[in-house]
Amino acid sequence: MSTQIKLRHCAKTFADGTRALAPFDLTIEGGETIVLLGPSGCGKTTILRMIAGLEFPDAGGMITFDGDDVTRQSIEKRRVGMVFQSYALFPNMTVAENVAYGLKVNGVSAAERQTRVAAMLEMMHIDMLADRRIDQLSGGQRQRVALARAIAVQPRVLLLDEPLTALDAKLRVRLRTEINALLRKLGITAVYVTHDQEEALALGDRIVVMQKGEIAQIGTPREIYRSPKNPFVADFVGAANRLAGDMRDGRLHIGSQVFEAVDGWNQYNDMIDKTGPVELFFRADGLSVCEREDAHFTGRIEAVAYLGDKQRLTVSGIGPQAMMIDTHADDLTAVGSDVHCRFNIERLAIFPAHDADSGAI
Amino acid sequence: MSSLHQIKGGRSRPSLPSFMVGQARPGVGSPAILALLLTPGLIIVAAFFLIPMALVAMRVANGPDGFATYFIILTNGRYFASLMQTLVMSAGVTVTALVLCGICGLFLVRNRFAGRNVITALLTLPLSFPGTVVGFMVIMLAGRQGVIGSVTDALFGDKLVFAYNIAGLFIGYLYFSIPRVILAVMASAEKLDPQLEEAARSLGAPTWRVIKDVILPGLMPGLISSGAICFATAMGAFGTAFTLATDIDVLPMVIYTEFTRNANVAVAAALSIALGLLTWAVLTAVRCFAGNTATSGTGGGA
Repeated sequence: MSTQIKLRHCAKTFADGTRALAPFDLTIEGGETIVLLGPSGCGKTTILRMIAGLEFPDAGGMITFDGDDVTRQSIEKRRVGMVFQSYALFPNMTVAENVAYGLKVNGVSAAERQTRVAAMLEMMHIDMLADRRIDQLSGGQRQRVALARAIAVQPRVLLLDEPLTALDAKLRVRLRTEINALLRKLGITAVYVTHDQEEALALGDRIVVMQKGEIAQIGTPREIYRSPKNPFVADFVGAANRLAGDMRDGRLHIGSQVFEAVDGWNQYNDMIDKTGPVELFFRADGLSVCEREDAHFTGRIEAVAYLGDKQRLTVSGIGPQAMMIDTHADDLTAVGSDVHCRFNIERLAIFPAHDADSGAI
Repeated sequence: MSSLHQIKGGRSRPSLPSFMVGQARPGVGSPAILALLLTPGLIIVAAFFLIPMALVAMRVANGPDGFATYFIILTNGRYFASLMQTLVMSAGVTVTALVLCGICGLFLVRNRFAGRNVITALLTLPLSFPGTVVGFMVIMLAGRQGVIGSVTDALFGDKLVFAYNIAGLFIGYLYFSIPRVILAVMASAEKLDPQLEEAARSLGAPTWRVIKDVILPGLMPGLISSGAICFATAMGAFGTAFTLATDIDVLPMVIYTEFTRNANVAVAAALSIALGLLTWAVLTAVRCFAGNTATSGTGGGA
């Protein structure tokens, strides 16, 4: 039932000559939720707008919905549902009129419109707001209305452009869960644009990480998180700690410490076989605080951030840059004191050193 | 009012910085201060509105026919026709200006091209011309020696002359109104959220529906306010009419004639009151109508 979307050799050059997107191929399976993830200006919104029909690919590009060529079709004909960061609700209409709008312009009879709008509002838990004006709604309510309006017309694909960015953190998580459940329930093909890696991991069947107009990696959330393909992806999905090392004889040398290759490195096989300088990326859980005798490294605590369920230490003296290390919330930590820590050696991403210099942001 | 402030002040905790407590001291919003702030407004309303209106109204009452003068101006064919003619022409100028400027203003805001600023500047130039100059320009254009006349004479052997009647006045007032309306439209158009249009289009709305349901409602506040100014100006403008001809029966001209030539002060005064009331009534009606549609969501034209 759900629509498969194919983009072939799509590139985008704007009128002023700026290359927004290098040519790329992307297939979105029917019913799949794809998240386009990347920093601002990486081209993720341009891809979304291409699928919508608000931007058109450069000559040679082709977009199909279930095999139908829609490349030159305008947005009115494509049957796409859009949800914007700014909600884009019609301020001159009530909640119910907003949701009914797409049905109205498509010639659905008043009686059926009423039934379908009521069902939509109920599904989004906003049935009690039907007669409200838009300016009487909170941000979360507005985004629910926007979702109801987009799916009321039963679009072939749902396109969401940073829909939660304008909301506060708590609401963002709640609405994210609801959107996730909604997308599974409808089984609709969805493209979701965000710069928030947590949102991407939670929502995506697959994630497309974008970097400067190119696709840096496509993979499941697990692949993206555990096996970033390059330093940019590693850095963007939260591996903020960096260390320099050397690969020799299939072993990793960091300073005087030597580590044997482990299973978690399998995806970096070619790296393990090589010899030469490497750059290591890891998250705050890549190092853990331990006793002196078990320690690989010793550093000095520069700052402590208490996060409730854990503490995040800023530690200097291990590498050239300060490290982020998470520790138990009840551990005694004092700024200025020494801290001993062990490498969780399987939670590493390893890249040749020159890649790391050129790719990371 | 002041007691409320004292309660607030009493509730404020000692830990609050002193400047925050100080804000809640009584007197800032007290009736005496409010009255003082209102005084200049009241004086202006009295000096420039209430007193002159009262004086004019008294002139009617003291005239030979007393309050019956109002009845006379409504039953006298010439006065009534003039009233209607002024009304229809002003409404026509307003609607035409709104349509023309709505299209031009939207175009100028949405498109970037060489000479755009020059065109905007030229379109707003008439702001600086007095009505007399506008009348003079209309004569140059459509008068007996005008450009249009010469062209039609050369082409069809017949001079097209329309500067000296209501058509000429219509052109003059339109020219006069365009800058005001176009500036208001451009200001409103800058504020339109392009994503609203994208949302409407994604739902399948064709262009005309996007215009009707999204663009027009968004422009409506600007269209109403500038249309009101345009209409009121056209109802009362005098200089252009006076320059074009003395026999155009628009209300300001009739008032002028009655007052200066016929010394018919009471009728002139009654017509003045009628002109004011009529303009006010039309503007109020439009405002009410537009206010209703803006909230009920049907959109539509002004």
